Amino acid sequence: MSDAQLEARHLSRHFVVRTGHGLVRPKKVVRAVDDVSLSLHARRVTAVVGESGSGKSVLARMLARIVVPTSGELLLDGVTIPVDAPRTLGYTSDVQLVLQDPFASINPVHPIRHSLERPLIIHGTARAQIDERARATLARVSLDPPERYLDRYPHELSGGQLQRVSIARALCVNPKVLLADEPISMLDVSVRLGVLNLLRGLCDDEQLAVLYITHDIASARYIADETIVMYAGQVVEHSEGTALIDAPAHPYTQLLIASVPDPSDPLRRAPEIEDRTGQGQFPAEGCRFAPRCPHAMDVCRSTAPPLFEVTTGHESRCWLHEGAVPVVIDSRTRGGTTSST
Amino acid sequence: MEETVTTDVVVTESDTVLDIEDFCVDYGWGASAVRAVNHVNLSVRRSRVLGVAGESGSGKSTLVYAATRLLRSPGVISGGRVTLTFDDPTSVDAKRRTVDLLTASQSDLREIRWSQVSIVLQSALNALNPVLRIGHEFDEVLKTHRPGMKKAQRRERAGELLALVGLNADRLARFPHELSGGQRQRIMIALALALDPQLVIMDEPTTALDVVTQREIVNELAQLRARFGFSMIFITHDLSLLVELADDIAVMYAGNVVEWAPAGDLYNTPRHPYTLGLLNSSPPLSGERRELVGITGSPPDMSQPIAGCSFHARCPFALEKCSSQVPELRVLDDSGRKVACWLHDTPAEVPVALRRRAGEVVDDHAPPHEEEALR
Repeated sequence: MSDAQLEARHLSRHFVVRTGHGLVRPKKVVRAVDDVSLSLHARRVTAVVGESGSGKSVLARMLARIVVPTSGELLLDGVTIPVDAPRTLGYTSDVQLVLQDPFASINPVHPIRHSLERPLIIHGTARAQIDERARATLARVSLDPPERYLDRYPHELSGGQLQRVSIARALCVNPKVLLADEPISMLDVSVRLGVLNLLRGLCDDEQLAVLYITHDIASARYIADETIVMYAGQVVEHSEGTALIDAPAHPYTQLLIASVPDPSDPLRRAPEIEDRTGQGQFPAEGCRFAPRCPHAMDVCRSTAPPLFEVTTGHESRCWLHEGAVPVVIDSRTRGGTTSST
Repeated sequence: MEETVTTDVVVTESDTVLDIEDFCVDYGWGASAVRAVNHVNLSVRRSRVLGVAGESGSGKSTLVYAATRLLRSPGVISGGRVTLTFDDPTSVDAKRRTVDLLTASQSDLREIRWSQVSIVLQSALNALNPVLRIGHEFDEVLKTHRPGMKKAQRRERAGELLALVGLNADRLARFPHELSGGQRQRIMIALALALDPQLVIMDEPTTALDVVTQREIVNELAQLRARFGFSMIFITHDLSLLVELADDIAVMYAGNVVEWAPAGDLYNTPRHPYTLGLLNSSPPLSGERRELVGITGSPPDMSQPIAGCSFHARCPFALEKCSSQVPELRVLDDSGRKVACWLHDTPAEVPVALRRRAGEVVDDHAPPHEEEALR
């Protein structure tokens, strides 16, 4: 297995906000992403699961270098990128971001051709090749025949087709890493699988490293080779494959999975949530999930837990798993076990 | 979720709250009209939940907005009958009253709306006035519909309603933007219940919410229904959620009801290819990982006339006549299940996946969730 295409080490992003009313408004720091490390490998889909506000989109934007991290470092192909250096064309041609809402992220006043050709022009493709490259890219996302789509306007396409155009736009410049930020959440149920299968296929056939961000844990289970659960800006659970979905260790992951409607198991009940009003406000000390956690202990309220190894390749940020050795994700070398769907 | 909501209201077949007959809704007039709801027959029974499932553009929201006369121009009701039957609190002998909603006058509608039929919209942030405090919304409803109430009484009632949905009365002084999405949606539910209506319409109330919040709200709805016994129309695109919540489910596609069945039957033994495809479109949380196909193609363009069955272009089992003749919604079996599909005309030719009995596992197009429990 090759080394990581894109690696993030201890990436954090804190936002300073003013709270309250009046002239003197105290500053408050929102730790949107706190000390997140992950690595994206060719031919692997890494899924990041979390609720809104868990920092997963800020993470994607930091990896795309749209948002500047407060601290931490990024490594592209093993080369450290200074966080404060300007974003270069070289970086954007290697790392591309696909956004959630294709209706909002594709310019509505230009035909599809424009959206596909812009990145090619910016990245210096020879004029003569542009049309051919645009057509070839549409074929890669199964929009066949390309001439049926190239001169259409975004409003003439369905959501699923438009999201494929959005993926095609990202693929135009032949990136090594594709960051997909909730690519299916705005789409109709019946076309979601098509987009998921497309991402999986691109990852396998074109050696892409894919970061798949979602709030739908079932779709992560469907597509992922490695799964990360985020809560309040932190990685709370991480596993190779989908071990954390089949055997969740962290109470938050357990809650998340128990909350998914599953009519095949009518006797299943979601665990009671202790403190509902605590949502959105996270304690400054201790475990951030403690106010909502049914297993919270004294230590949880005073000291933030590190990641503990539950089983090989499966870590959980929870004191319940104390006794195992705390781990740092990025220091581990990964084996070549690529599971496939 | 709170299992099997039991209410002590006796439900009989004729005990219908809302009856929709042969209902048609168009957008636009004349030659450019687009048929959004096509000859739909549905009824909501007392204290029961009717689930309406479908993708965007299937006409599910248009159906309920038009049935409650909330549809705005260019939406046009072009045919059918919608009747609401309710216990009239104003009559002396508390008799059941039946009102034809499509011909009702504005003053009749004003009397019925909110006090008999209320609605919870998908986007609570857009439904609540951003410049008014939450308390004002409650006050306005109660002032309009319960003119006898004093200010202090209204305030007390608002506090009670918030307590019903698990919120503290101090939220009344807040503005919508100060609350989380889940809290806002709870306030919408509390507002909908303010006048103790007989029918509550929920238009994708949990679609914009996280799965944990969705779970809390769904559990709360089950408790509230057990307590007050109101009927509900629950609209969503999430069929698995609907199976948990609803008694009966109508699946809509391109303006037509393509299948109607009791919730469990619909989930365990789908009979329409679209229902089967929808169920197969959600990756399972348990069982072996394998590639799913779901439904190929995209939903039809409603502005173009569709010949034959609206689903035939995406249907894996389509017959020759599917592209030319429109199948009618017909009763299929003893459970009252209705399906609009030509496949069931010749029982011998029905694909295995669409004639499976409950519990029977068919390898090809197997049920989306395995039988075993999650943990």
